[in-house]
Amino acid sequence: MKRRTFLTAAGATVATTVAGCSGIAGESEPDDERTLVVGTYSAFIDAPSTSPGAWLKEQFESEFDARLIWQTPENEVNHYIERKNAGVDTETDVYVGLNVDDLVRIDDQLDDGLFAEAGDVEGADSVKSQLSFDPDNRAVPFDTGYVSLVYDGTSMTAPETFEGLLAEDVAGDLIAQNPASSATGRAFLLHTVAAFGPDGYLDYWADLQANDVRVLGSWSDAYSAWSAGEAPMVVSYSTDQVFADRNDANLEKHQIRFLNDQGYANPEGMAVFADANEPELAREFMSFLLRPEVQGEIAVRNVAFPATTDAALPEDYAELAKEPPEPVTFTYDELQGSVSGWIEAWERQFAEN
Amino acid sequence: MARSTETGASDGRAHDERRHRWRALLRGTLDRRALPVLATGTVLVLLGIFYYPVATVFVESVVVDGRVTLSVFWAVLSDPFYFGEPARLLTGTPPTAVLDSVLSGDPRLGVVGFTAYQAALSSVASVALGLPAAYLLARYEFPGRRTLRSLTILPFVLPSIMVAVGFVATFGRNGTLNTVLGAVGLGQVDLLFTLEAVIIAHAFYNAPLVARVTTAAWESVDASAVETARSLGASPTRAFRDVVAPQLYPSVVLGAVLTFVFTFGTFPIVLALGGFELATVEVFVYRLVRDLEYAEAAALALVELAISLSLLYGYLRYEARHSISSDGIRPLPRRPIVPPSLSLRELLPRAGLAAYSVVALAVFVAPIASMVYASLTGPNGATLAHYEFLLERQASGASFQVQPWDAVRNSLLFAAAALAVALPMGVVVAVLTTRRYRGRKVLDVVAMAPLAVSGIIVGLGLLRGLVFGVEVGGTRLAVGGALAIVAAHAVAGYPFVVRTVAPGLEGLDRSLVESARALGASRARVLADIELPLVWPAVVAGAAFAVAISIGEFSATIVLASGTSQFTMPIAIERFIGRRLGPATAMGVVLLVVTSASFLVIDRLGGETDAL
Repeated sequence: MKRRTFLTAAGATVATTVAGCSGIAGESEPDDERTLVVGTYSAFIDAPSTSPGAWLKEQFESEFDARLIWQTPENEVNHYIERKNAGVDTETDVYVGLNVDDLVRIDDQLDDGLFAEAGDVEGADSVKSQLSFDPDNRAVPFDTGYVSLVYDGTSMTAPETFEGLLAEDVAGDLIAQNPASSATGRAFLLHTVAAFGPDGYLDYWADLQANDVRVLGSWSDAYSAWSAGEAPMVVSYSTDQVFADRNDANLEKHQIRFLNDQGYANPEGMAVFADANEPELAREFMSFLLRPEVQGEIAVRNVAFPATTDAALPEDYAELAKEPPEPVTFTYDELQGSVSGWIEAWERQFAEN
Repeated sequence: MARSTETGASDGRAHDERRHRWRALLRGTLDRRALPVLATGTVLVLLGIFYYPVATVFVESVVVDGRVTLSVFWAVLSDPFYFGEPARLLTGTPPTAVLDSVLSGDPRLGVVGFTAYQAALSSVASVALGLPAAYLLARYEFPGRRTLRSLTILPFVLPSIMVAVGFVATFGRNGTLNTVLGAVGLGQVDLLFTLEAVIIAHAFYNAPLVARVTTAAWESVDASAVETARSLGASPTRAFRDVVAPQLYPSVVLGAVLTFVFTFGTFPIVLALGGFELATVEVFVYRLVRDLEYAEAAALALVELAISLSLLYGYLRYEARHSISSDGIRPLPRRPIVPPSLSLRELLPRAGLAAYSVVALAVFVAPIASMVYASLTGPNGATLAHYEFLLERQASGASFQVQPWDAVRNSLLFAAAALAVALPMGVVVAVLTTRRYRGRKVLDVVAMAPLAVSGIIVGLGLLRGLVFGVEVGGTRLAVGGALAIVAAHAVAGYPFVVRTVAPGLEGLDRSLVESARALGASRARVLADIELPLVWPAVVAGAAFAVAISIGEFSATIVLASGTSQFTMPIAIERFIGRRLGPATAMGVVLLVVTSASFLVIDRLGGETDAL
C-alpha cells in the first residue's frame, strides 16, 4: 500500500457558502457555547423508520450545555481519510459508526492516526469484552448487529447449515449482497471465510453460484426483491422481526436462521478524532453513549443490540431481536492484510466473463 | 446601470441624450462582446467544476509515489479479468494461442468486454423502442400528443432505486407481467436477475432519449423537400428513404451512441436487476475507490472514458459529414391517428403503432404505475400512510433530516438555474464547434467529456478539488453549496444542448448569416434573431434534457451540498429507503409529479413550431 507524507493542514477555510462546514451535510454553528461535531452514517440520524440521532442530540444538549452537530458525509469514514490525505482539518470531534474493516483501511492508508486513543472513557469497562475490536484501543463499541438469514416461513424452512444452501430444493432461493457495497454482503462473505477457511470459501461460493445464489448490489436491492417474493431467503439482520412487528407484518414471513447456529457480529464503534477541537467533550459524549438507559435507547432506535452488559432494554425486546447461540467475527489482526484480498478473489471468481 | 444622481430640469435634455448614447453604446458593446464573454465564462466553469477536479483523480493513475509511471495502466490492460483474451497478448501469450481461444466458442470477454457487450445490446434495444415512439409523436396528430411528447423524457430522471422497485413489481416472479400472462393462460417468465432485465431497464432509461432527439429531427424536416421529391414522381416510400430518412440518421445514431456511453458507465441498476455475475467496469471503479485504491480505479475509469470518447468522436465525424442544409422549416403535416380510409396503406402503420403501444405500456408505463401503486399500499392494503410520513417529516423532522418540501423546492430552483447556465453554455459551444477550423471535432469531443466520465470519479474530484479547496497564501479556498451545485448540474446537462443544437446550426444556410452580418448585425444578434429561431425545436429538446439531468443528478449534489437545506429530491428518496418501500416510493411519486409538471411547462413555453 502506498504511503504518503502530507502537507500541514491549512488554517482557515473560506467557503462560498454561509454554512459553517463546507461540503458535509451539517448545520451552521453559533459561537457562544461549546460545540461538538459528530460524524456518522446517515441512517443513524435520518432513517425513515426510527433513528437515534434526534433523541441523542436533545438529551445530550439538555444535560451538557453544549451544541451537538451531526455530520453525515456521503462516503462516511472515507470522507475523513480523504480530508487527512488532502491535508485538511477534519473539523469533526468524534465519529460514530466505525467497524473493524474501516479501521483496517484507515491504518493501511494513513501513516499517522486519524483517531486518538479512547483514553479515559467512563463506562467503557461495561462494554462486552468480545465486542471490542480495536487492538489500539481507539474505537469503543456502542452497539452491535448480527447478520443472519431472514426467510419466509410461510413458504419454506431455511436450511440449518451452509452446506444445506447447496441442496437442489433451495436452488435460486437465496439473495445476498455485493460485499464491496453492502455491510451485510461483506459480513456474509466473511462468515463463509470463517466457516470454510481462506482456502475453502471460494469452492463453497462456486457451489453456491452453481445453485443460483443471487448477489445483488445494496442491502435495499436485496431486501426489496425478497419482500416482493423473488426468493424466500435473504441475507439481513437478526433484528428483522422488530421492524416487522412495528409494521404489523406477519412474523411468520420474517423468520431468522442462524446458519451453523452462528451469526456474524458487526459491532459498531466510536472514536475521537486526533485533531478534535473538543477532545474532552468528545469523551464525555462517548461515556454518555455508554450509559445503561442511553444504550437501551440506541439499541431500540437503531434496531440493534447494546454493546454493554448493563443496558436498560424493554422487557420484550429479546423476543423479537434474536441473538445467535454463537457470535462469529474476525478480529482486526485476522482481517489486516487479508480482507481486501478475500473480497477481490471472490469478485474475480464470481464475475468472471 | 448606475443611476444618475443629477437633478434639475435644465440638465434634463442633455442628460437624456447622454443616456441614450450610453445605452446604444452599451447595447452595441454587449452585442459585440456577448459571444466572447459567454465563451470565456463557459471555459472557466468547465475548468473549475469539471476538468480540474476530474484531473486531480485521473493524475493518480500515472503518478504513483510522486513518480510518473505507466505500470498501473499496464497491469490493468494486461489483466484478462478486465480485458479478456486480448489482454493475454500483452503478457506474451503468442497471438495464435489467443486466436485459438477466441475461436474456441467461449472466449473470455473480460469485464470491459462484457460491459461493452451489454451496452451495445442496450443501444439496440433503446433504438428499437425509441424509434416507433418518435414516428408516432412526429407524424401523427391525436389528443394529448404534446403532453405525451413532453412526458417521454420522464423515465430519464428516475433514480435507479425507483426503477428497480418498479421493475421487480412489473417483471418479477409475482409481478404484473406474470399475473397477466397467467390470466391469459400463458406460462410464467423468470425475467429478473438476467441480462435481459438489465437491457430492458436500460431501454427504459434511454429509449426516451432516442425518441426525443429523433422526434426533434423529424419535426425539423422541411416539408417542401418532400413535396418536391413527390412532384418529381417519387413514391411516398422513396421520398421517405431519400429525403426524410437521411435527416433522421444522425439523431438515431446520436441516441444509440449516447445510450452506449451511458450504459457503459452503468452501475446500480445492473446489480439491482442483474446481479454480480453481470458486474460492469463501474462496479469495480466503485469498489476500488471505496478501498481507496485510486491508481487502479483511475486507470480503469480512464479506459472507460477513452472508449466512450472514441465512440463519440466517431459519431461527431459522422455527424459533420451528414449535416443537411436547410434554410427554414415548414414541418410535415401530421396524419390523423384515426385512419381516414380503410386501405392497407393507412391501416398497416397504425396497426404497427397499436402493437408498439402494448409493448410501451409494459416497458414504460407498468413500472411507473407499480411505483405509484407501491406508494399507496402497505402490508394491510391501501393506505395513505406513506404520504402522511412525508407530511409528518416536513412538520416535525429535525433540521439535520431531509425535508420533502425543501427537496422539491431545491430541485426546481437548481433545475431552473442550471438551465439558465446550461443553455448559453451549450449554444456557445455549439457555435464554436460548428465554425470551420482544424481540430474543431477534437474540441467538440473534449466538450462532450462530462457525458462520459464515471460519476464516481466526478464525485471524488469535486470533493478534493472544490470542497476541500486549494490553499492560497495560507488561506484555504473551498467551494460548496448552491452555486457549485448549479454549476455542476449545468456542466452535466449542457452537452445535450450542444448535441441537439449544433447539427441544426451546421445545416443552416450560411448566406442567411452572411447577409445579416453584412447589414451590420453582430454575431450574437444573428444567433439570437435568426439562427436559434430556425433550430428552435432542437433548443427546446436540449433544454428539456438539461432540466432532466439536473433533476435526476445525485452524486455531485450530495458531495457539494453544504447541508440538508440543499438536498434535492433524489437525495430525499435515497434517505427514505428502508425496510418498507413506502416512504421512498411516495417521495418518488412526488418527484414524478413535479418533474412531469416541469416538462409540460418547458414544452409549453418552448412552443410548437407549426406556426412558422
